[in-house]
Amino acid sequence: MSYQKLFDTKISSDSVKAWKASGKKAMGYVCCHVPEEILYAADVLPVRLRATDCVDSSDAEAWMSSFSCSYARSILQYLMNGTYELDGLVQSQGCMMQARIIDNWEHIAKVNNKEQFTHFIGAPRMNSDITVKFYKEELQEMADALGKFTGKAVTDEAIKAAVAKTNETRKLIAELYALRKEKNPVVTGAEVLSICLAQCDTTVDEYNAMLKEFLAEAKTRKPIEGRARLMLIGSALDNPEFIKVIEEKGGVVVADYNCFGERTFGAPIELDDNDVMGSLAKYYLDRNTCPRELDNRPAIHKEIVELCKEYGVQGVVYQKMQNCECWGGETYYLEPDLKAIGVPMLQVEREEQMANAGQLAIRAEAFIEMLEK
Amino acid sequence: MAEIEKVEYWRWTESNWKNPDIPDWHGSLITAGVDIGSTSTQAVILADGIPYAYSNMRTGSNSPDSAIGAINWAMKDTGLTLEDITYTIGTGHGRVNVPVSNKTVTEITCHARGANFIYGPSIRTILDMGGQDCKAIHCDENGAVTSFMMNDKCAAGTGRGMEVIANLLAVRVEDIGDMSFQIDEEPAPVSSTCVIFAKSEATKLMRAGWSKEKVLAAYCHAMALRVARLLERNGMEPDFAITGGIAKNKGVVKRIERIMGVEALQPKWDTQIAGAVGAALIAKDLVEKKRAKAAQ
Repeated sequence: MSYQKLFDTKISSDSVKAWKASGKKAMGYVCCHVPEEILYAADVLPVRLRATDCVDSSDAEAWMSSFSCSYARSILQYLMNGTYELDGLVQSQGCMMQARIIDNWEHIAKVNNKEQFTHFIGAPRMNSDITVKFYKEELQEMADALGKFTGKAVTDEAIKAAVAKTNETRKLIAELYALRKEKNPVVTGAEVLSICLAQCDTTVDEYNAMLKEFLAEAKTRKPIEGRARLMLIGSALDNPEFIKVIEEKGGVVVADYNCFGERTFGAPIELDDNDVMGSLAKYYLDRNTCPRELDNRPAIHKEIVELCKEYGVQGVVYQKMQNCECWGGETYYLEPDLKAIGVPMLQVEREEQMANAGQLAIRAEAFIEMLEK
Repeated sequence: MAEIEKVEYWRWTESNWKNPDIPDWHGSLITAGVDIGSTSTQAVILADGIPYAYSNMRTGSNSPDSAIGAINWAMKDTGLTLEDITYTIGTGHGRVNVPVSNKTVTEITCHARGANFIYGPSIRTILDMGGQDCKAIHCDENGAVTSFMMNDKCAAGTGRGMEVIANLLAVRVEDIGDMSFQIDEEPAPVSSTCVIFAKSEATKLMRAGWSKEKVLAAYCHAMALRVARLLERNGMEPDFAITGGIAKNKGVVKRIERIMGVEALQPKWDTQIAGAVGAALIAKDLVEKKRAKAAQ
């Protein structure tokens, strides 16, 4: 097996086709508040939807206004134009924009006589005993619905088996990120994002095997000499080309706080044998993944500051998708924290369709010149 | 049939200059900076760090030709040739299209350094109002950038927008500043500084009977408000100065000063050469560093 697929950023249907050929189902999901482990436990291949390389979302624009998030709109476009051929969509209430994907997709699939399983779960925006209990019930409902759809009931044992595999992924991703802490890392930020994106539409077994193979060879790679060590934070970024523009100007993105990065994979899950679903719910709600929650902003900012120190970051690039609900206004709160540790921040706005590479390049280059002094 | 005079109202005055205090140069180091902007191109030649000559002209359709044209025009009457220039830095939108450059540096870095030269070391906040973009820059006492912010995605609030309005109202672009104050009362700003929308709104105001002066005041006001927001977002720290072509338009400058409650420093040099002079100074630093290293 070759690990080259890790660097192919195109959305692949190979794993989905192979999975479905054996009579099993494949299901899309959008936000990281849908635990993949439950889908695997129901014999469903989880496909994390993304919109990489989407250059035209005009079909979806008929359903979602051009003043909506272009990432969410582009995912709907990919569902509509057949880039994704899946058996359904499971979605959590990650943010208001992406929640509109399932609303519209349910209707579009119905009017087009396309049979689709859809299920929506509420992901609380606060973390407490009450909300964890609610979230657990939501996950249980999803597990029951999936079990009914596939004919394979979701059991604790099946969840535990899935967690064992996804925990392996988490450990491998941690190893990958450790490479970035080196003075001269052997992987670029664009490569790391490509590797993370490959997980979205690959089976966990295949992905773990590829990642292991890559990590074994990675140490022999030529170290990269950059002009400045950068961290990338902000809205869901599923386009390595964006990072490539920055890195072509001499920056090396050595850390990130991105929906498709390490923090989404998170630390290994520790399940409570007496309450498997409850401990899974607690794990997923305890993670600080993005400022969608009402009570985790200070914790996220602290994590970003700590990551800057851990990875020797000289500057932070804060990319904000236009109309992004979650990352719309972190600047005012985060910038003083970064200033306190002497790390400047560059803010850039973007759309899913990368039409402003030149504008990004000039800003990135000037930022790097500033950091070099 | 009478011939209709075609007047290019947008066309600002191109110029070149040679330092009268340095008739013949016999120093040790000639460096140059060439700033190819979207709308204008400048070339500055420094003799041992002192401005020796410069040119300021319109960017044509061919950036390499514009670069060579600007540098040749700057060298006119100096007796210099391209071979006499030790190091050249290209900057601006077209910085990669300067055929004679040894290196490229972004206009943000160059403008900060250039503003430090033009306005002195007390300068901390620079507003560069260029042909098709606008930048708020903070710098230290050495002219090194400490933070910056650029406008996004359109030509609104930039020199090109002003040129479009000049043509629309048939007013020479260099007269806009003075004319915008020939009003009884400051009008409300046009509702958008998007060039297209502002153009249609200005047309509507003219039809409604507004004088050209009043429309210009409304447009300058809107432009000042737009860039003031950029300054506020990046933070305003005195001393403050404006570079770029719009710095010559007091209709905008005075309104920015009023909105921000701060007076802009008066320039000692042409504000349009800030990027090129910054590039030439950075070139000088690089050569001196190399020479110092070689001498060790």
